[in-house]
Amino acid sequence: MAGNADALRSVIADAASGVALALRGGGGPDAVSGILHPDNPFAPAAVRVLGADVLAPYALGHPPPTAEAGDAQSVRMALAAYPPGADASEVSVWSYGGLAEAARRFLPADGALPPVPDADMAWTGTDPWQRLAHRVSQLAALAVPGLADGLAANLAPRVDDLSRGFVRAVRRRDWLQAAGVGRWLARLPDVPETLGLDTGLVFVGRLGAADPRVDLHVAAAQRFFGRGR
Amino acid sequence: MGIQHTKTDSAALAIEVESLVDSPEPDGIYHDTRECAGALLALGLLLIAPPTPRPKKPSRS
Repeated sequence: MAGNADALRSVIADAASGVALALRGGGGPDAVSGILHPDNPFAPAAVRVLGADVLAPYALGHPPPTAEAGDAQSVRMALAAYPPGADASEVSVWSYGGLAEAARRFLPADGALPPVPDADMAWTGTDPWQRLAHRVSQLAALAVPGLADGLAANLAPRVDDLSRGFVRAVRRRDWLQAAGVGRWLARLPDVPETLGLDTGLVFVGRLGAADPRVDLHVAAAQRFFGRGR
Repeated sequence: MGIQHTKTDSAALAIEVESLVDSPEPDGIYHDTRECAGALLALGLLLIAPPTPRPKKPSRS
């Protein structure tokens, strides 16, 4: 089983590298299927973990893939294979909802896509800032223009708390959390100038370069929101 | 047997997916400046300390 976990992490890293490259203009938007064939037994699981990010390159204005394209197949398989269970965490429901929303927005409508589940949003107002930053970083894939607009609106009043969380994650050398929170801050308005978000994102991208998911979040902040350049 | 094995693998993969989607926060790594300074001082003292006296070899006669 440990072999499965290692193989899955490796597939996720490969797919994340492909998406980051596509966001920087390398190759086409079908980054995931260009690296992972839908027949790869780990492809649906990797797509579920990366969430909406697998379709993020299509937010750059590329034409949508056909229903038979590898990206569309992988996303449909992930949505069918890994729905959040009855006892799933809020993060899991939000992550699944983000993938479902991205699929509805970027894939051809063929009736085979599941609905976007209702996810609780009370935590955006009640979580202490440390917990909020961690949770928001886990949902970094939703920081794409036009996706999860309701979540973005609810997070906007907590920009100061997320800024504290960004600094805390950097000081803890938790590069994945720092990159995820930084990506959300790049999307939100009224981020304090004193935070130094642009240089902070560059710093996180360099120090966390060993993790392709860190690189992906920094690439998304740069390409979608023009921060961290 | 094969089907059972596949089901077990799928269940394990589903658990792994959940743990990656909602992973706990890793423990932070902090460096206490005073502790680091103390350790550096101790290392410096060790380096500049005179060598431990050794018993002299008996002179050959």
